[in-house]
Amino acid sequence: MPKFWRGALYAALLVAALYYLLPLYVMVITSIKTMDQIRAGNLLSLPTGISFEAWGKAWSGACTGVDCSGLQPFFWNSIRMVIPAVLISTTLGALNGYVLSKWRFRGSELTFALILFGVFIPFQVVLLPMAQTLGWFGIANSIAGLVTVHVIYGLASTTLFFRNYYVSIPDELIKAARLDGAGFWRIFLRIIIPMSTPIIMVVLIWQFTQIWNDFLFGVVFSAGDSKPITVGLNNLANTSTSVKEYNVDMSAALIAALPTILVYVFAGKYFVRGLTAGAVKG
Amino acid sequence: MGALAIKNVTKNFGDTHILKGIDIEIESGQFLILVGPSGCGKSTLMNIIAGLESPSTGEVHIGGRMVNNVAPKDRDIAMVFQSYALYPTMNVRQNIAFGMETRGVPKKEQDEIIARVAKMLQMDHLLDRKPSQLSGGQRQRVAMGRALARDPILFLFDEPLSNLDAKLRVEMRTEIKQLHHRLKTTIVYVTHDQIEAMTLGDKIAVMKDGVIQQFGSPQDIYEQPANLFVASFIGSPSMNFIPCHLAEQNGALGVSLQSEGEARFIALPQAAKLVGAVGKKVILGIRPEQFDVVIDSGDSLACKVHLTEPTGPDTMVLTQLNGVEVCARLHPRDAKGPGETVRLQPDVSKAVLFDAETEARLA
Repeated sequence: MPKFWRGALYAALLVAALYYLLPLYVMVITSIKTMDQIRAGNLLSLPTGISFEAWGKAWSGACTGVDCSGLQPFFWNSIRMVIPAVLISTTLGALNGYVLSKWRFRGSELTFALILFGVFIPFQVVLLPMAQTLGWFGIANSIAGLVTVHVIYGLASTTLFFRNYYVSIPDELIKAARLDGAGFWRIFLRIIIPMSTPIIMVVLIWQFTQIWNDFLFGVVFSAGDSKPITVGLNNLANTSTSVKEYNVDMSAALIAALPTILVYVFAGKYFVRGLTAGAVKG
Repeated sequence: MGALAIKNVTKNFGDTHILKGIDIEIESGQFLILVGPSGCGKSTLMNIIAGLESPSTGEVHIGGRMVNNVAPKDRDIAMVFQSYALYPTMNVRQNIAFGMETRGVPKKEQDEIIARVAKMLQMDHLLDRKPSQLSGGQRQRVAMGRALARDPILFLFDEPLSNLDAKLRVEMRTEIKQLHHRLKTTIVYVTHDQIEAMTLGDKIAVMKDGVIQQFGSPQDIYEQPANLFVASFIGSPSMNFIPCHLAEQNGALGVSLQSEGEARFIALPQAAKLVGAVGKKVILGIRPEQFDVVIDSGDSLACKVHLTEPTGPDTMVLTQLNGVEVCARLHPRDAKGPGETVRLQPDVSKAVLFDAETEARLA
């Protein structure tokens, strides 16, 4: 009997997995079909031959509005936005978490509560004041502006992640280091950071996914040649030509999704490990 | 001035008074124990000595120097923590070296010190391991090694043995005492374990509710407890506390004790101090070992045995006097089984008396 249930369990999991993978399957096979194959077959039918023509076009030839240089410029914009934004917000989050858990001051709990509040603020609420602020700083419609927005908006969650991880580090460790003559920075760099690998991975993945996939800030705070890939993808799919090129659309969507997929593949094991760290004493 | 002097130190958090005026002074090379139940303020006092917290009022002097405004690292102290507080990402060698590194000790000297400390604590083979690869006892040893490498004028131990199992705790206790004999460095040691306090200390400060209840040698505290709390806290099994009325009979001051079936008036030799207290409710404190088994004599009582607890060398016999449970530590040869009767004679010459209301010592 247990054997039967085990079999049933795996069958159910398999169905669920197929259900979730189906859209990806459709995207991948559509992207490698030619338009003739798409017209001839149905959504699920396998391609008769493999063609990467659509990928090439999506990368460097497809039209977004009047400009026809594909997703390429948007992709590099996103890279130039996501790397500084992720690194800065993670660094500041680690520092905030370290201070709020290990160097408490009068009002530090209130400060944390207020920062926490930032996690719950919807994107839409900050659009207008943020646009005004970026204007004052003179970085509106630039990649620097987008980086600033993402750093500020990401601080709340990175602080939350690091603070909750550091709370589980015993205070005695800090006391011991202070008696050993280490100060604020030396304790942070020599004791705390080396212990933080799991949570750093979590925050890096989290921030990378958030910032890479963001559309709203991208579409509002960028213009001309500073648009990120999500905006580029939208423009590409919405630019109407005589025929709807499904294979190019699918290739473009896959290109836009690829970096986050890769990040999960290479760092995913840390993600689960980091999220559960502290739950069980090692 | 001594190695450590604490002068009228208080610590308040808002309206909560953690320490209410602590005065302690010890000589160089002494082993001071701070003992008390949890929440008595002993760890706060330790942190104040270390400089990790600052006192609300009062002064701390280490080695004759006022250190209130001196940072922990500049107080020439080293501390061993209950959780050992080893840096988890560094191996044992790096753990010991970290403090010397921040103080700028030359690399060659560091290596010499590490070698010396490792030899002293017999942990040469552990130097390249991470703390997670060590057993509890080994971690304890490394934590001590880290403190020794500092070569301070004052060692602070914050419940260092609490996380070890019973057997290891006794072994490490002996080792700490041997270490102290060898190094002759002043030690302040916080514990809630009265056996550790008795076995290790030259001086014991018994604390409760932020006040030092008694400060003295272990023997002093054991034999001459200042009040009911100290008497009950030190000693295992605990001192017996028998409620009585102080009375005068045939010109002698004493109390009457009643076992199940027999009552007897027992004259107290401490009479001189008790003259004013006749008729008062008092508490007679007798330690379990202050009962003797006799065949028959004037001051003995026939006591019914309720329960026996053999420990090997002694057998604890539980009986009843004046309506409260009383424990007597007897030689196994003399102990009777439950339900039987044994004649016990209390040795009142070492007994102590407390005021039933104030719990202060009367005599």
